[in-house]
Amino acid sequence: MDNREVKFILSAYRPAGQDASDPRFAEALDQARHDPILQLWFEESVAFDAAMAQKLCGMAVPDDLRENILIGVKVGCGSGWTKRFGKWAIAAAFILVAAVGSLIWHDTRPAHLTGWQSAALEVISSLVRNESSFDAQSRSSGDLVGWLRANHAPAAGKLPDSLKNLESIGCKKFSWNGVSVSVICFTRSDGGLIHLVAMKAVGKQGKGGAHLVQRGGWATATWRDGDMIYMLALEGSPDQLRSYLL
Amino acid sequence: MRAPDFQQLVDRQYGPLFRFALSLSKSEAEAADLTQETFFLWAAKGHQLRDRSKAKSWLFTTLYREFLGRRRREVRFPQIELNEMREDEMAILPNVNALDGALVLEALGEVEEPFRAPLTLFYLEQFSYQEIAEVLDVPVGTVMSRLSRGKAQLRQRLISKEQIAGNKIVRFGSEQVKESHG
Repeated sequence: MDNREVKFILSAYRPAGQDASDPRFAEALDQARHDPILQLWFEESVAFDAAMAQKLCGMAVPDDLRENILIGVKVGCGSGWTKRFGKWAIAAAFILVAAVGSLIWHDTRPAHLTGWQSAALEVISSLVRNESSFDAQSRSSGDLVGWLRANHAPAAGKLPDSLKNLESIGCKKFSWNGVSVSVICFTRSDGGLIHLVAMKAVGKQGKGGAHLVQRGGWATATWRDGDMIYMLALEGSPDQLRSYLL
Repeated sequence: MRAPDFQQLVDRQYGPLFRFALSLSKSEAEAADLTQETFFLWAAKGHQLRDRSKAKSWLFTTLYREFLGRRRREVRFPQIELNEMREDEMAILPNVNALDGALVLEALGEVEEPFRAPLTLFYLEQFSYQEIAEVLDVPVGTVMSRLSRGKAQLRQRLISKEQIAGNKIVRFGSEQVKESHG
């Protein structure tokens, strides 16, 4: 075994010494012990690995992550922890994490979007970039809502007042983890676009204030109304979005 | 799984899982989402795992698969052979202690993804090469190869950052000490 092979094998040797008795390392370790230069390399390599491990373990974790995991799973689980989840329960957990998150998170904290929200933004982005096409197109949002209902997709029972007078472009339905989601795209008065995402909520009826998140170039506002969850999204600032929430 | 057990599992693993996800995705938002999704999947499917001592490995494996699934692309794992390793790549060790944690993370993020995943598991949770092979579902030899190659890439990135930061580079073997001119 030449020195290059020894170094190759010892690259997998853990710095805390857990592998000392692993026969796969025995020959390489023995060779290092009898070669001062190799031994020096090995000691420095272990020190490097230990320092790397220490640095990486010091990486900050979002303050609210633990709470969101526990709340999301607990609520999604229903009354019993032994209940076995299905996809719907997982989806419910995500929805509730989003809803609970609106109570926990503040506008000034690092913004997190949950899975369905990120998925919705991906769909919207692909529509905006003409990488995918609308399922139905109409300048009348009423027509689009009707089309969505006829096709068993979630649709707003009542459009927010701020969107009623805007001209729509089209709508699309998609599935996220087995849950049906829809999006309607509108043209804003300044020529930009604004998108309303709708999804059926699971659990009790509820109503809550909008939770604003800025992510990349996107501003989003998410709220719950009855048995639906809505997300309004535009490429711009939260201030631009706020004017549609009033 | 009882609520207290689940909470204990979350308490033990949500930090390492998030850090692993962050090293893969390089996005805090996506890392948080991947971590949450992993625990939701545990809540849904974890009962199927008979050997509870494998819970940690299950969580890391699931998170990694979720990450790959999201990428929706075929990840090509380069076959790095031993003879492709240049010894000088393994001979230079940067002074990690002198570097800011964010810079270290940045350097890790610049390592190619097939190497970054085993490296992160190796450093974060001190997974053995066999455990890494299980999590990533690759042969043991491939893990060793990726660790070796990944460390070489990581060192190069760290040295670049050291030079920018104006720190010392220590070259082993020749025992030279250079002062950078950054």
